[in-house]
Amino acid sequence: MAAWGCRFLLQRGTRLLSPPALAESPVQLVAFVRTVKTTTWFDEHLTEDNQKFMRNSMAEEYKEQTVAKLNPLKDEPWPRHEWTEGSRRVGLVAVKLGMAPIWTKTGERHTVTLLQVQDCHVIKYLSKEEYDGHTAALVVGGKNVSPFHKSEERMEMFMNAGVPPKQKTTTFKISDNAIIKPGTPLYAAHFRPGQYVDVTARSIGKGFQGVMKRWGFKGQPATHGQTKTHRRPGASGPGGDPAKVFKGKKMPGLMGNIFVTAHGLKIWRVNTKLNVLYVHGSVPGHKNCVLKVRDTVLPTRSSTLVHPPFPTYFTEEEGDLDEDLYDENLFVHTDPSLTLA
Amino acid sequence: MAACAKGLDKCIILLRSCRNVQFQSERFLSTSMWRQADSEPPKFVPPSKPVIIDKTQTLASLRKFLSPEFIPPQERTSPLKFSIERKDMIRRRKVLNIPEFYVGSILAVTMADPNASGKINRFVGICIQRSGKGLGATFVLRNIINNQGVEICYELYSPRIQKIEVLKLEKRLDENLMYLRDALPEYSTVDPEMKPVPFSPTGEVPFNKMKVRMRPKPWSKRWERPKFNIQGIRFDLCMTPKQMEFVQKFAQPWLEYDMLKEYDTSKLEEKILTEVQQEISK
Repeated sequence: MAAWGCRFLLQRGTRLLSPPALAESPVQLVAFVRTVKTTTWFDEHLTEDNQKFMRNSMAEEYKEQTVAKLNPLKDEPWPRHEWTEGSRRVGLVAVKLGMAPIWTKTGERHTVTLLQVQDCHVIKYLSKEEYDGHTAALVVGGKNVSPFHKSEERMEMFMNAGVPPKQKTTTFKISDNAIIKPGTPLYAAHFRPGQYVDVTARSIGKGFQGVMKRWGFKGQPATHGQTKTHRRPGASGPGGDPAKVFKGKKMPGLMGNIFVTAHGLKIWRVNTKLNVLYVHGSVPGHKNCVLKVRDTVLPTRSSTLVHPPFPTYFTEEEGDLDEDLYDENLFVHTDPSLTLA
Repeated sequence: MAACAKGLDKCIILLRSCRNVQFQSERFLSTSMWRQADSEPPKFVPPSKPVIIDKTQTLASLRKFLSPEFIPPQERTSPLKFSIERKDMIRRRKVLNIPEFYVGSILAVTMADPNASGKINRFVGICIQRSGKGLGATFVLRNIINNQGVEICYELYSPRIQKIEVLKLEKRLDENLMYLRDALPEYSTVDPEMKPVPFSPTGEVPFNKMKVRMRPKPWSKRWERPKFNIQGIRFDLCMTPKQMEFVQKFAQPWLEYDMLKEYDTSKLEEKILTEVQQEISK
């Protein structure tokens, strides 16, 4: 862990940095010089074998901990409340696996994105006062990672929840009746086929792009006497009266690598064993990226969410779920071929 | 019946002995002699039932064959994704028999079609391309109907597909026959009423080394370029030696030494094949 700091240097005349002169002389010039504050790496004093051992053993330990659900939930789980209209549940942190086709019972083909919920746990509860004064929130993390490259503050947060450190943590705003105790594992069965979700992720970075790719401007013709003007933005606004370029003018610049939300995606299928969600269409982000899935905020789609597992799905209570939950319109591959008579 | 035959035998012997015929059947004489000696009605032994081999019926292949869409592409996708897809593919294969076929084979596909009369459509054509990996695998059938080239791209795992028949199993010189679009129409014409050609379920797949003659240029693609590496075209008929030499300018012989593009799937293939066979036989 390297942290950059700066320190003041007092400089006098041509004789730079002479300690005896520094003490007596008046300050003439102030300059910043970078200093490197190094902290120890975890493997600094370890042999290569030991490093390997540490990495492997920690990974195995975390794996076992997650599989055995060895969350040291110190006391009783928090009291649960009933689902009411307008309640907001917590969401999940999932990993994007890739895309695949599905077919409906009417023979239509759709593409779905496979999202796997890997080691998703509630990390922390933030009360109304702690968060923003309006709503309570839950911090949720997903995908176990090595503890050796996490800061001490973050490690403390995971230690308090009694779960391994996570690659990604996000905050979900929730209603007061949907609070869950930190350390609780979350599963894909939290969402059910037929309901709609919003998926947020950091989109694929495109680098510095021109106006045609970034904003979809039309550009100029290739021929008909164009000189050096084919993909340029053209005018940037009226002259004369405003005599300025308005703020927010669409211009070339960095494209992508920002958080994007895809709203109102239907869930077609849920694999409860492998914790895979089949979400309609494409979602932002590259393959294997970690993203955030929550109940949709679209008012027209909220009617699909009636009596969901609340506040989340607990394996102990609903242990008899099928391996695959399908939407009613989805074609299941064990069924015979379709006849469109 | 037996008595009648016996009487007839006696008659024949009488006649033959009278006429003193030289060319008489040895067998006839011996049996009749034996019968006369025994003077017992012989037991009727029905002839063994003939085994009728219907050569128009195609048998399921017994070769070790893994459909190419099972082999995952070389990319950074989690192997879990492919195993999830494979499960669904195997499930579908248990319901629908997807036979072994190659580019160049002649197939007939029956598909539920909401726009067809009778809601069902059967198309016969030569397979000119197989593409896609996993559940989204496709193949393209081409035929010429009423002097009009027709191509249909079928999804292998679509639930609308009712039946896939292999009418003629064979391989061609190339892995992709898209150049048949620019070849003379006789090479892609298949009789829609074609009967299945028998093939052996074991041994080597028949290999058709036919080379096609092309229509005059321009073609949809420059098939002579080395990047397509096409063996199945008679280039000597449509290009001069000078042109052939010129085309070699576009060759990129260094690409075969690109170690990053090396992808040896033999081990992976075997692993997947055993998995698929186990699952299907379950």
